[in-house]
Amino acid sequence: MGKDAARAEWDNPMQFVLACVSYAVGLGNVWRFPYLCQMHGGGGFLIPYMLMLVLLGVPLFYMELAIGQKMRLGSIGAWRAISPYLGGVGMASVVTSMYLCLYYNVINAWSFWYLFHSFQSVLPWAECPVNSNLTGPVEECERATPTQYFFYRETLDISGSIEENGGIHMGQALCLLLAWIIVYLFIVKGVKSTGKVVYFTATFPYLVLIIYLIRGVTLHGAINGVKYMFTPKMEQLAKPTTWINAATQIFFSLGLGFGSLIAFASYNQYNNNFEKQAIVVSMVNSSTSIFASIVTFSIYGFKATFNYESCLERVRLLLLNTFDLAEDTISLENVNHWIAELNRTHPEQFASLGGRLETCDLEAELDTAVEGTGLAFIVYSEAIKNMPVSQLWSVLYFIMLLLLGMGSMLGNVIAVITPLSDLKFISHYMSTKTLNGLVCLFCLLLGLGFTTRSGNYWFTMFNDYGATFSLLFIVLIEVITVCYIYGIKRFEKDVEDMLGHRLNWYWKIMLAGVSPILLIALFIFYIVNYIQGGTPTYQAWNKELGKSVVTEYPPYAQAFIGLLLASSVCCIPLTALYTYCKKRNLASGKRERTVSTVSA
Amino acid sequence: MRCLRMLVRILVLLYLAGAPALAQTLCQPNASNGYRVRISIKTALGNQAYEWNENEMFLFRATMAFAMRRYYKTETYNVDNIIVCNQTRRVSFWFVVISPENPTMLIPKADVEKAVSMSRHRINNAFLLTDRTLEFLGIYPTLAEPVNPDTPPWLIVFGVVIGAVFAGIIALLVSSLLQKRRKEKGMMEDGQDEEDRQMKGVENGINLDGIYNRGFTDDDRFTKL
Repeated sequence: MGKDAARAEWDNPMQFVLACVSYAVGLGNVWRFPYLCQMHGGGGFLIPYMLMLVLLGVPLFYMELAIGQKMRLGSIGAWRAISPYLGGVGMASVVTSMYLCLYYNVINAWSFWYLFHSFQSVLPWAECPVNSNLTGPVEECERATPTQYFFYRETLDISGSIEENGGIHMGQALCLLLAWIIVYLFIVKGVKSTGKVVYFTATFPYLVLIIYLIRGVTLHGAINGVKYMFTPKMEQLAKPTTWINAATQIFFSLGLGFGSLIAFASYNQYNNNFEKQAIVVSMVNSSTSIFASIVTFSIYGFKATFNYESCLERVRLLLLNTFDLAEDTISLENVNHWIAELNRTHPEQFASLGGRLETCDLEAELDTAVEGTGLAFIVYSEAIKNMPVSQLWSVLYFIMLLLLGMGSMLGNVIAVITPLSDLKFISHYMSTKTLNGLVCLFCLLLGLGFTTRSGNYWFTMFNDYGATFSLLFIVLIEVITVCYIYGIKRFEKDVEDMLGHRLNWYWKIMLAGVSPILLIALFIFYIVNYIQGGTPTYQAWNKELGKSVVTEYPPYAQAFIGLLLASSVCCIPLTALYTYCKKRNLASGKRERTVSTVSA
Repeated sequence: MRCLRMLVRILVLLYLAGAPALAQTLCQPNASNGYRVRISIKTALGNQAYEWNENEMFLFRATMAFAMRRYYKTETYNVDNIIVCNQTRRVSFWFVVISPENPTMLIPKADVEKAVSMSRHRINNAFLLTDRTLEFLGIYPTLAEPVNPDTPPWLIVFGVVIGAVFAGIIALLVSSLLQKRRKEKGMMEDGQDEEDRQMKGVENGINLDGIYNRGFTDDDRFTKL
């Protein structure tokens, strides 16, 4: 690679838009937004969500694209160019992206694992395996459900707590290796290869979502779920957590602050119209969230109805067997009527039923809101195993998860590689191919730690603490830097230079006023919440009980959490200090040299 | 002589009349050597369910006799050796098995269980039912042996995918190698263009995408006359 060679570029603006869409539309759209929608009043949640999109999401997205396109460097170089003292912002972004790279690909490894296991006549999570003396199902599986057993025991082989380490799960390690090799393949030639891959990773998930939408709404009982989701509960809007969760969701869903957007935009043509693209990508991201939640809720409705009807069937059988009535006297519809009837006519016999009589409640089944990996790998696979031709639906679903996850991984890895390859001393010693390979190898080796028996607990820790707080801080500093330190006037001139027209009043008000205020409010809320929350806890899987129990983190784990938070946030003040000292030394050094020249 | 024959006849008549009564006392709910059977035809067959009547009961007794014959490997068991009682609307009833040699002796529970387990599949099929819909309360169906293939199927799919990925990598390497060789050949013919392309300046991180002005190259070191 010759020195100062032309910077690589996207083949056309469409590749850039698809790359942003592929990055922003990720697993969070599928497993976090439906959960929030359910928790905060169904259809009513769309109001704070849309409001936050307009006030917070789109302006910040616009700002990051503008910076990347103007500076034509990754996050470290770009922020150093904006203000030498705040080059640390770029470093903090790179550190946070590195954490994300480490743990995010483990989700892709799980998706691969489930995908490979779907090619069997009976899905392995459909039934409990038999125990060693063939008398019944394995105990742990009986106490929990088969899908939970498959996830916690066969996929993760999870230990009882974060302290109990174990060996590496070979299957997981192999899947992680495969995931990293594929990521490397996608980025090996820089934007030339990434630009071609995003055509597929951005569009194919939509195809699968549409197929799933058609399948989902035609499932028995799906309408219950969709009705439940869209029934607005307006009283939820009065709670501040609703608004905060809406803001947080917009913020993380768009992937702000990681440096990926800056990296993507740095490969743009100088005069690319990023304003239109910013609006398009944000809208596409939000609509995908809403679309995915319709799919999720129809599947929820199906699962809830299935469980409810299974419960009714069990109660019906129990009544038939206890009171020796003919089979067709009780049907699923009049079970509740018969319960009342039999209680009246045979009170002692009814009382002898005792605890075996379950109460079946459809609302309660729908209320079991789950998010995150629990939703994707446990709830969804439970619903899929009950569908006809479940293997096909399983394969389709996990391919979709893989594409969403891989698309986001591209952005994460590029966010790390672009700033590193822009650094002079790295680009001098090795080509991009070698750098890409080294970064992937490094992340793979460290990521193997997440495939150990306690790996899922470390994963959850990284997921909850690795990126949340640091990102808020990073983006807050970004906005303040651009608007007040760099100056909104200079920013305006840069944008006019690139786009040909001045900043709209909307962008100016949002960037300079509304967004920083909202960010500060979010930031304060997070700190208050963290302090009030007491000792951080996690869900540990208890083998004997067959369910998760809330456990406190041990002291060294809490220290590690602090390290995670501090390591990215501290980059900013430390770099500022370092630059300040270097400038002082340089200034005093210059003075000395001028003196010596004169004297010589 | 005639009195003796009449006495024998009366005794035989009494015995024949009393035998079923005797047998009935042997079969009781919660009998120590009896099993309760529960049949759910409508659950199993839905619209194609048949009616449970005396004929079906006869078939059940015959099937049980068959099971006992199969277990003991003898041909002495008959329909009369299976006594059924306490039938309910649910379609559930108790049954006991009496020994063909001694009508007052019941076959022990354990033996009946083994006989049923051995012929369970045949019994189920006679009634178009399954282990779940034709229940012998107290006899648990032995679960099928799990099929353990030598290579787990997921490993096969994994092998296919990773093979395809490696093929992709090799294809990529080969194509980039070919491209490099083609570029080198091109460079030897067109050396000037390469030099000009490398002269693009990078200033303050901003790429000057201009066309290099050849008026300022020094390839004309020798002034033209």
